[in-house]
Amino acid sequence: MALGEHDDPILPCGRALSSVWEESEAEEAVEAGLAGGPAGDGALDVGPQAGPDAGPQGGPHAARCPYCQEALAGLGVLDRYVREARQTAGAAGRDEEDRSTERFTARVMDLVRTELRPGRTLPLGDPEDDAWITEAAAAKSFRAAAETLPDVQAGSCRVTLLAPRGPMKVAIELAAGYAWPLPALADRVRERVRAAARDGIGLEVEEVDVTVVDLVEDAAEGETGGSGGHPEAREEGRS
Amino acid sequence: MPEPSDALLAVRAAEGDEGAFEVLVRRHSAQLLRLATRLLGSRTDAEDAVQDAFVSAWRRIPEFRGDAAFATWMYRIVTNRCLNLLRARRPTQDLGSVPEPSAPEHASSPVRAAESTAAVEALMRAMDGLTPEQRACWVLRELHALPYEEIAAVVGISHQAVRGRVFRARRYLTEAMGAWR
Repeated sequence: MALGEHDDPILPCGRALSSVWEESEAEEAVEAGLAGGPAGDGALDVGPQAGPDAGPQGGPHAARCPYCQEALAGLGVLDRYVREARQTAGAAGRDEEDRSTERFTARVMDLVRTELRPGRTLPLGDPEDDAWITEAAAAKSFRAAAETLPDVQAGSCRVTLLAPRGPMKVAIELAAGYAWPLPALADRVRERVRAAARDGIGLEVEEVDVTVVDLVEDAAEGETGGSGGHPEAREEGRS
Repeated sequence: MPEPSDALLAVRAAEGDEGAFEVLVRRHSAQLLRLATRLLGSRTDAEDAVQDAFVSAWRRIPEFRGDAAFATWMYRIVTNRCLNLLRARRPTQDLGSVPEPSAPEHASSPVRAAESTAAVEALMRAMDGLTPEQRACWVLRELHALPYEEIAAVVGISHQAVRGRVFRARRYLTEAMGAWR
């Protein structure tokens, strides 16, 4: 099997090398329970040579055929190197990898922070005050206000001015724990966002649209200090 | 409560929340650096490539619609960047004209060859004989265990073309590594 040969050589038993290899890959995937996983699609389409009319078929042939066995042994040698390479990648040590990730993240973020996108500016106070806040900064404070509630993660947060100098409309999207009754959650988020706007920024928010885009697992019972699994109750217990 | 999902963080990053983007960088950089190191054969080059990919992702994330997973999107940006670097590095070589990698002296004994670092080094050397496209498809398939469909999306070629490249890469590498037996 020299490299100058035809792309996909036909073994002396009549089967194409590619179909012998792909078949073994598909079988491994099934054995590993990965039918829907990385190699699972191999079982659906293993190329024209493996079709029902393509002559010798399936594992039973390959298991008996010396040519197929030789072809599979060659792939087996490569597979052992591949496994080594996969394992070596994880062998650097958790702490060292964490430190290296932190260094790299800091390096990337230094560059990103030279190209921030603060969005539009929103006017604060009276016209003569000439004070502004960026849309991104306002959104950040509203997301943080929503996330003071337990089992709430904020996603998109859009701020629109309803008139040239306010009031504002806020549209916020959330992922929330399953245990939250959604109407109660929406009310709580509205309160928090309005309070953050009024007390933190000095802006009136007229309207807060709350959309729950995802439901996620709640915090484990143990983390709540035994005050019960209901987020609203826990939240009340804290305030 | 689980950590915020990639999708939620990507939406926030698209709206200019660099803090959310930082979480995504921290979450995905180790895996992307492994990919780029395997594609480029150098950790230093890999860090530059992945850094550039993240900066480019930060600029383009407002157009990211979330049709694909954020991780797949980053795989695509990093892979394309590495492919461009590999293509620029040397003229495209015909597979038939690539000399077989020879086993170094110290590695020819079975004992040394059994050592994982030597084995991995040999594999990485052999990978230099692949074309950039074969290398990308094979690394994504074998070392990152991506399904063929996802590799097709990452590399931007058909599912069938991915299979062809993985096959030719396997064929070349079995041959090259067989010299070690």
